[in-house]
Amino acid sequence: MNRRKLLSLLGMSPVLLTGNPAQAGQTKHAAAPAADPGAVKITTVNPKGTPPSIQLIPMAPRLDSLDGKTVYLVDTGFHGSDALLHQVELWFNRNMPSVTLVFKRKAGPYAQDDPPLWKEIKEKGNAVIMATGH
Amino acid sequence: MEKLGIPSVPMATKSFADLAKSNASKRGMPHIRACFTPHPVWGKTAEQLMAYVEGNDPVSGKPLMQEIIDGLTVPLIAEDTKTGMMDVNVGPPVYGPDTLDNLQIHFLNNGMTDFLPIIIPTPEKVDAMLKGSSHHPDEVVGKMAAGAFAAWTFTVRQVAVNAVMAGCEPEYFPILLAVASSGMAALGSSTSSFAYSMVINGPIRDKLNMNYTIGAMGPFAQPNATIGRAWTLIGKNLGNGGIPGDTYMGSQGNNTNYNNIVIAENEKDSLWTPYHVQKGFKPEDNVVSLFAGEDIRQGHGARGAGVLENPMFDDQISDMFRTLTSQFDALVICDPLTIKRLVEQGYDTKEKLTDWLWKNTMRTAKDYRDSAFVYTFHYPRALRGEEPYATWYKCPEGTLIPYWPKPDNIVLVCAGGQTNPFFQVGNLTYRVSVSIDKWM
Repeated sequence: MNRRKLLSLLGMSPVLLTGNPAQAGQTKHAAAPAADPGAVKITTVNPKGTPPSIQLIPMAPRLDSLDGKTVYLVDTGFHGSDALLHQVELWFNRNMPSVTLVFKRKAGPYAQDDPPLWKEIKEKGNAVIMATGH
Repeated sequence: MEKLGIPSVPMATKSFADLAKSNASKRGMPHIRACFTPHPVWGKTAEQLMAYVEGNDPVSGKPLMQEIIDGLTVPLIAEDTKTGMMDVNVGPPVYGPDTLDNLQIHFLNNGMTDFLPIIIPTPEKVDAMLKGSSHHPDEVVGKMAAGAFAAWTFTVRQVAVNAVMAGCEPEYFPILLAVASSGMAALGSSTSSFAYSMVINGPIRDKLNMNYTIGAMGPFAQPNATIGRAWTLIGKNLGNGGIPGDTYMGSQGNNTNYNNIVIAENEKDSLWTPYHVQKGFKPEDNVVSLFAGEDIRQGHGARGAGVLENPMFDDQISDMFRTLTSQFDALVICDPLTIKRLVEQGYDTKEKLTDWLWKNTMRTAKDYRDSAFVYTFHYPRALRGEEPYATWYKCPEGTLIPYWPKPDNIVLVCAGGQTNPFFQVGNLTYRVSVSIDKWM
């Protein structure tokens, strides 16, 4: 399939993957005025590295409803995640009391997995809401 | 969690909406059901946060809680379950032919520069750069990611292209290959605006005429300036870093990112062991050591300077440490005159001074635990039982604890031209030392 078409189907701008989305919001410089026909023209080498191919990952099947289910509220550890999730917990308690909520702070640095917690959620949970504060 | 079959909804603040979508796409899940709150969430009261929860997602405009519930319960569509591999295009291998001005604009418009003019990397200039190393142009040097992203790979030739752009000479090239091989980008993705530093040791400093005397860390020598600049371009172009809102989120940016803090150690005038020898290399080895952290700041002379017969540099350095974050370590750059005074005070080895500084720069456990950075970066390690953080989180509030786990977290190097006994302190952590000789 044409790469641009595939990216479009995925909801991604091709420029996103070539690494320059931010430049879309910055002032672009127009090409220089038409050069002297005799001006020297040269070629130049692309300075970019080689990105890895992307392995598309299917999402998990969704639940029929949250009634009677166990939802883990996972705090990644960034400032305010815990306070926000406690309000989410309060909202569920008031509005959907049939949902069981389990609050957990993920162990380890924020970019690292927490295998024991993932195992616990896989065994005991039905869904996850994960908050990253700031 | 999605990979494990558990439906998930990640929440972030609206400032991270582009980053969340972009990163999920790069990791193969472009339709992840993320939702967003207003920004920021930290420092908000419970009432304010409940208003966020009961309000709308500022990105989608939909009620936040309904969006979360829908994210976990609305059935998937075919696009959500796609599998397979997808290549990513970074453009053709060469651009042009075009005029020099238009190519300069092309590089600028496509975010491949630091927004200063570059040397256009023609094939001829790249070939000349490649002569600075015996390594094959197609040899894979390593992988680099400017944050928690999928790493890009790169070859000797691709490093050479960026070296040309920065204005490097071919004889500098082995240093850049050594730096690039570390996989460490000089641009981070964090909302903190990180700084980066390299310490260069060995005879190559003199061979390249690197400046390590007057103005050692200023814009006064081509190798110091361009090697540091190339590190930033390498992070951008080989590690896909430095894209604001996508792979770069530093709220205020960091001026040192233009060419980083390049330190050629003044081995000749220092009374202390050179840094690379401390790391186990021989004096004749050429080595680059890399650091990352927050910033660098000027020392304030010494306590008692001009008043006391023996000004106390140790006290003054310790005082400055109290202004640093514990998230990163300390890199102290001493002028040779400062080292002479410290040796006169009895610190005839680096270890004697780092030991004294470590033992005498303390704070209470309460002050430590109140730090936002500590909460984010050390508390999770304490939760895992990692020492000394676990103990530092358990001990009584008034307990005095050191700034860092061990004296080795304090690094001392020498640079400067002996016009005054000054020093500078970087809130910078040692990451790795790499042999430059290996890349000759």
